[in-house]
Amino acid sequence: QGAQIDFGGMQQDTSLPVEVTADQLSVDQANGSATFSGNVLVGQGEMRLSAAEVQVEYTEGGGGIERLHATGGVTLANATDAAEAQEAVYTIASGEVVMTGNVLLTQGPNAISGQRLVINLTTGSGVMEGRVQTVFQPGASRN
Amino acid sequence: CGFAPAYGPGGPGLKLQNAVLADAPRDGFGFNLVKRLEERLGPAQAARYGLSYEIGLKSTGVAITTDNAITRYNLNGVVDWTLRDLGTDTQLAAGRAESFTSHSATGSTVAGLAAEGDAQRRLMRILADQIVTQLLATSGSWSAE
Amino acid sequence: QDMATLIADRVALDGQNRLIAEGSVEIFHQGRRLRASRILYDRSSDRLLIEGPIVLTEGSGTLVVADQADLAADLTEGVLQSARLVLNRQLQLAASEMQRIGGRYTALGRTVVSSCQICAQNPTPLWEIRAQRVIHDELERQIYFDRAQLRIAGVPVFWIPHLRMPDPTLNRARGFLRPSLITTSELGTGVKIPYFIPIGENRDLTVTPFLATRSAQSLDLRYRQAFRSGQIEIAGSLARDRILPGETRGQITASGVFMLPRDFLLTFRGEAVSDPAYLLDYDISSKDRLDSQIEVMRTRRGEYISARLVHFNSIREGDVNSTLPSVVTDMTWERRFSPRGLGGTAGLRFQTHSHFRSSDSTDDSNGDGISDGRDMGRASVSLDWRRNWVLGGGILASALTEISADFYRTRQDPAFPGSSTRAAGGVALELRWPWMRQGADGAMHVIEPVAQLIWSPKTGRVVPIEDSALVEFDEGNLFSFSRFPGADAVERGPRANVGIGYTRHDPSGWSLGVTVGRVFRTSSSDPDPFGPASGLAGRNSDWLAAFRMSRNDGLALTHRLVFNDDLRMSKAEMRLDLQRQDYGIAASYLWMLPDALEMRDTRVSELVFEGSYRLTPNWLGQFNTRYDFEADRAASAGVLFEFRNECMKIDLSLSRRFTTSNAIRPSTRFGLSVDLLGFGGSALPGPSRSCRG
Repeated sequence: QGAQIDFGGMQQDTSLPVEVTADQLSVDQANGSATFSGNVLVGQGEMRLSAAEVQVEYTEGGGGIERLHATGGVTLANATDAAEAQEAVYTIASGEVVMTGNVLLTQGPNAISGQRLVINLTTGSGVMEGRVQTVFQPGASRN
Repeated sequence: CGFAPAYGPGGPGLKLQNAVLADAPRDGFGFNLVKRLEERLGPAQAARYGLSYEIGLKSTGVAITTDNAITRYNLNGVVDWTLRDLGTDTQLAAGRAESFTSHSATGSTVAGLAAEGDAQRRLMRILADQIVTQLLATSGSWSAE
Repeated sequence: QDMATLIADRVALDGQNRLIAEGSVEIFHQGRRLRASRILYDRSSDRLLIEGPIVLTEGSGTLVVADQADLAADLTEGVLQSARLVLNRQLQLAASEMQRIGGRYTALGRTVVSSCQICAQNPTPLWEIRAQRVIHDELERQIYFDRAQLRIAGVPVFWIPHLRMPDPTLNRARGFLRPSLITTSELGTGVKIPYFIPIGENRDLTVTPFLATRSAQSLDLRYRQAFRSGQIEIAGSLARDRILPGETRGQITASGVFMLPRDFLLTFRGEAVSDPAYLLDYDISSKDRLDSQIEVMRTRRGEYISARLVHFNSIREGDVNSTLPSVVTDMTWERRFSPRGLGGTAGLRFQTHSHFRSSDSTDDSNGDGISDGRDMGRASVSLDWRRNWVLGGGILASALTEISADFYRTRQDPAFPGSSTRAAGGVALELRWPWMRQGADGAMHVIEPVAQLIWSPKTGRVVPIEDSALVEFDEGNLFSFSRFPGADAVERGPRANVGIGYTRHDPSGWSLGVTVGRVFRTSSSDPDPFGPASGLAGRNSDWLAAFRMSRNDGLALTHRLVFNDDLRMSKAEMRLDLQRQDYGIAASYLWMLPDALEMRDTRVSELVFEGSYRLTPNWLGQFNTRYDFEADRAASAGVLFEFRNECMKIDLSLSRRFTTSNAIRPSTRFGLSVDLLGFGGSALPGPSRSCRG
């Protein structure tokens, strides 16, 4: 009925390169940020983040990406889990993703909904808040 | 002095004559109640009103002699009635009739048995007469036309 | 659908397959609902570690309250700490540890069981059962106690190694019903312990032994069976005591009702007793004439059919059963219809009656004017018709007629050898003239004068009279053709029934009814068929006055007087019913002249009074007495105190019966019964004690 589902299996090596593809790109030289819009897809290892618009903030020297700010309906997924929300902020260095606005985290048959989800990609742990509701299959681990 | 004949022109009595159909009786008590209601209100012809009734009876021994013989019984009766419009089935009026009759139980057992049956018939007549009077009294509020 | 839902303010996933929910956490699963402050759900072990205050409610009204718990994810297994199991919101089982097994059993360690309110300032409940171990079986709805101890107000009273009690939701469980302690002056002090045995779905047997100090033992049995089309109940008892030493005494009553095809109904009722005093000695009933009866009847609109066989066995002092009709048959078939053309209402009735006296002698030892061995058979046919007309001025006129023909056959009665027939009848005109007025306060006033002029022949054939001796005179027969209760005697000669009724009707307030009436005859008849107590003797009858008052706050008063011109009473009867929230009165008074025709040689003056008063929200006091002014002493008096709170019902009763006869002696009776509420189908709980402060 499905492999051993690991809660909070959103583990991810945050040092891998990040690719971003989108319909349009506009760059703001003044603060060194770029805004991708239209079917934006961000990939890092097995993880995919899609959104209507993603604003990328680069590190001081312009060498790497410091933070991604996705808005307009965001989906974060990897091989086994998927999380949807209205907005998400992914800070690469800390590996922390903060998703807000009707958040829905699904892992195999289990689903958790709430208002705010903080995922730590390095440890794979996550905290959902705001009248959280989850549906789970008791006894699933036995069969 | 403000009194008007109940069966006078436009009076409630006329509206009731032959216009009330009592529910079919289920036992001897109901049979005698309906018998007296039909005697007073006339048999239902193209009845406009339906009368339903719930009869409650309780017999208690009285006149107990010093050697514990029960020489008389009180038969208490209560009838809760409701009147409805047969066309629209809406309830028009409701009320309660209450009284008691008595019957002795001295002498022959057959005399006692007949007296008990007569007390039941008399009680149903009294309660039916009370219902007819209550129908007349409350008719102002429901017989609109 | 065996998914479980969890709701919480905050849910953390720690990556090691564990979910931590915090902040008013709730889990719903197959009708079970658990509320807690914090839950750790370990997916790999499928366990829930729960921190309280925990409230687990089952679909069946069972409630578990605990501080913390370690349960299986589907809430069916596991251990709860310092838990309280509450059944049917009434019975509480508290234990330091509670184990739930297979979603069916709940096992508690050292447990305190009670349904009483426990207050902080005095925690000892009125009663409690402490046990080493208690198991509640949710499926069978039974509670099993190991090494149980009953405590009343904290004091150990009773110790039972093993005890099984039905849980509050179970009504038909085998087991002991409410015990009661009874002390009577005749039987001594004894305990009655009923034991209920359900047999299948539709039968049960209740066995009640009674052992008393003055070597009195009795065994009551009650058997009930329900069929698809009816039910029967048979109750009997056997006893040996010092009242009739060496004799086995007893009684049996059987009753039943069955639906027959084509809307017929069969009912039967049988009673038999070993000796006249038994029913009173064991407080079973105060009947003095046992009538066993089997009847088949049907009632439809406009049709009444009844056929019955009645057997009388009088245990009344002075009655000789052989000279009283002991076997009676009655058959009645009545049709009511509205004849076409004639209009109005009409009735056709066929009736037969027969009764049998076992004695064959033709003299009159009991002086009732009837030969001792008379057996009689009667067949009657009668027709009645009535039609109403509204005349000018609002007079409602009615034409009435009644004709009947009776055929009699008697045996062992020299006065009426062989058979005799009789025809009777009469015509009448009834005039009613009701007037109505609406009072200023909305009450309706109705004044209704009524006059009924009856003509019937003055003379007629004389037939044996048996069923018409006990004549009454009230508003029910003031306007009747014949006021005799039976068919044997008929009223003869021209007469006028005149009366006037006044009614004040205010359904929201109080209503009043007064009826006054009298019977006027052209001449008195000799011999007068009516006795002095009936009020109908002489040329003109006594005055009849009936008064009725009722208020919608629980008052009902009915008063009826029969008195002659110089206001000498023949009969006076009064009934008062006053039922209020905290008190109630039911009283009746009767005054009657002696009457040889009614075989009553002494005057009757008797008051029956029953009062109840709510002393406190939990205590109800009741007092009843029956006082015979003629004999100037009470026939019976009794007082009852009932205590009822949320967990206990106590009935304390003391009553004395003063009546004596050859067979019975006055007796005093004290009764105490205690009912622990909260177990199977027990009495309804009363107001619970409020915890002050």
